[in-house]
Amino acid sequence: MPPETGAADGEIVRAVLAGDRERYAELVERYRDRYARYAARMLGSADAAEDAVQDAFVRAFDQLAQCKEPDKFVGWFFLILRNRCFAERRRSKSSASLEAAEGVAAADRTDGHTESNERRRALQLALLELTPDQREVFVLKHVEGLSYVEIAERLSTSVPSLKMRMHRAYDRLREQLREHA
Amino acid sequence: MSGREFHPLVKQLLDGDITLAELPAELRAEGEEALALVGAVDRAPVSVPRVTWRVMAQLERRRQTRRMLPWLLAPALALAAALVLFLRPAAPPTNPSLVTVRFVLSAPDARAVSLAGTFNQWDSHATPLVRTGVSGVWTATVSLPPGQHQYVFVVDGVRWVPDPAAPAVDDGFGRRNSVLTL
Repeated sequence: MPPETGAADGEIVRAVLAGDRERYAELVERYRDRYARYAARMLGSADAAEDAVQDAFVRAFDQLAQCKEPDKFVGWFFLILRNRCFAERRRSKSSASLEAAEGVAAADRTDGHTESNERRRALQLALLELTPDQREVFVLKHVEGLSYVEIAERLSTSVPSLKMRMHRAYDRLREQLREHA
Repeated sequence: MSGREFHPLVKQLLDGDITLAELPAELRAEGEEALALVGAVDRAPVSVPRVTWRVMAQLERRRQTRRMLPWLLAPALALAAALVLFLRPAAPPTNPSLVTVRFVLSAPDARAVSLAGTFNQWDSHATPLVRTGVSGVWTATVSLPPGQHQYVFVVDGVRWVPDPAAPAVDDGFGRRNSVLTL
């Protein structure tokens, strides 16, 4: 849902810090769905993504005074969500594959293209076998549609190191998909 | 190369640096396989509408807990509290046996929201919530005595909705009541 007002992120952050807590809901509304997709692909489960996004927003609220550039709230928030997703993956690695399969299976029922669903399910499972670093760069580029330059800015890293991660990811995905073909 | 790895030119294809037509003929099949792999990625949007009220309710609940903490710890902190009051006199609450509770519901499409519960004899007109800001968040602040209270939100005068952010119990008639313990 688009924000109901055109208030800039920085304006809302400053209002919340000044005591208008209710306005924080505007930021949550504005960004929750956009970042839920990233979290869902990172964690392999829409439910886990919902929890992660909620936690990240609560943590961001707690640390809002540390957001040095309120106008860049969303980039700062993304790093909080990213940390949450990485921690969650370390904690629950064992159950993620099953959840991913179930999540994709649920999506399958809605469109009925069996072959493409099967391919999508296999890729989602293979994605969960990547390292979190590799999975993240794949998700940001091929799900979120960001360029290498945009990803590098967001993660404060270099394009060559991202490409190295991604190229390893391509090989591992191919290997995984061939093994399970 | 192991044969399981994509050719470097195919990786450039996946990166969007070159097109399939620019690949040597002997790599076209591998290029098509690679494009099919990436093409299978699930880009469907993910919607988490409950997150807004869950976040706001969690923040609100925590604030209430923090407000209540001095009362919960009152015996242990009596001496410290006396010292603080001595150093910084503050206006005492009008009735220290009551706890101030703020109820919050995100209902962007609602025209009216009220509270019905054991504390107002389930009168759905007694405790209306006020819409705050522009985000569809409704709130009401109520002073309640310590103990257990059951309640629901009444949306548009007809829909009885348990608080999604609170535990609930069966009301004995097939519906759920939220429970608040103070």
